[in-house]
Amino acid sequence: MKDLLRLKTSLNEEIEKILNDQVKVEAHSSAIYLAMSSWCDDQGFDFSAGYFAKQAEEERGHMLKLFNYINDRGGKAISPEIINVPNDFESFRSVFETALEQEMHVTAQFNNIAEKCFKVKDFVTFQFIQWFLAEQIEEEYVARRILEMFDVIGEEGTGRWEIDKHIPKVTYNAE
Amino acid sequence: MLCGFASLEEVFRTEFGAVLQCSNKNCYWLEFAGDCTPFKVTDFLHLRRKIEEINLSELLFDPSPRADFTIIMPFRSQRCFVLSVSDVLNLKELMQGAKFMMELPGIIKDCLKAAPTSPLIIG
Repeated sequence: MKDLLRLKTSLNEEIEKILNDQVKVEAHSSAIYLAMSSWCDDQGFDFSAGYFAKQAEEERGHMLKLFNYINDRGGKAISPEIINVPNDFESFRSVFETALEQEMHVTAQFNNIAEKCFKVKDFVTFQFIQWFLAEQIEEEYVARRILEMFDVIGEEGTGRWEIDKHIPKVTYNAE
Repeated sequence: MLCGFASLEEVFRTEFGAVLQCSNKNCYWLEFAGDCTPFKVTDFLHLRRKIEEINLSELLFDPSPRADFTIIMPFRSQRCFVLSVSDVLNLKELMQGAKFMMELPGIIKDCLKAAPTSPLIIG
């Protein structure tokens, strides 16, 4: 009997589902960062607003990378429904704490995908997500470094203005 | 979609229906409740997921009349499924069995490929 399933798709159903779930996580991240950008803009933190707008674009890029991969392998990528996007934040610091938590959540999700890929021996997808896992090192590093600035510079007086000014300068160098 | 009956191969059958495969047209046929309907592979997989997603306990514990039947209208098909709770149960069983049988050829192929190609020399 002809294997119609494999003729249609090279993706295992479980892997397709978990990748589509990740598309949703990335889209949600993008929406959260956009909300953070708007909040920072509203509060007068211009550099942070720019930083989060850039992050929102990046997350959308990640989403599309996953989205296209699913379709390229014969699966069906699902355009996700995004709900529960927080639009208000307690403080300048809490915005960055939420951002770090979000990145840690994304890393955990990719670890789960890697584990699943190993379980079903889908080494092609495993290879594909290596890029994302490497990317998460940078994402978490930058978010953590920014949070540290709140302690190093301090929030008193012009502290928050100073922190905001330094946000675009935080970069990751793996070398 | 027209397929000669000779080209249909049985994927899985229960007392209440069957899933058949046409290897000429690369499609699946669902035989259920006295009717036989063709589906392209993607559409069949979508229908299967829809059936899997039906929450049986929700239907059973919902006292409203609308919970007595579930309506599924697959895209690109003239068939509309109006399913009672027992129909849902039967269709779920059929789809689960079909899912396993559809994946089986791939699993067997993988096992055969993984097996050593040259004969083992003992002694």
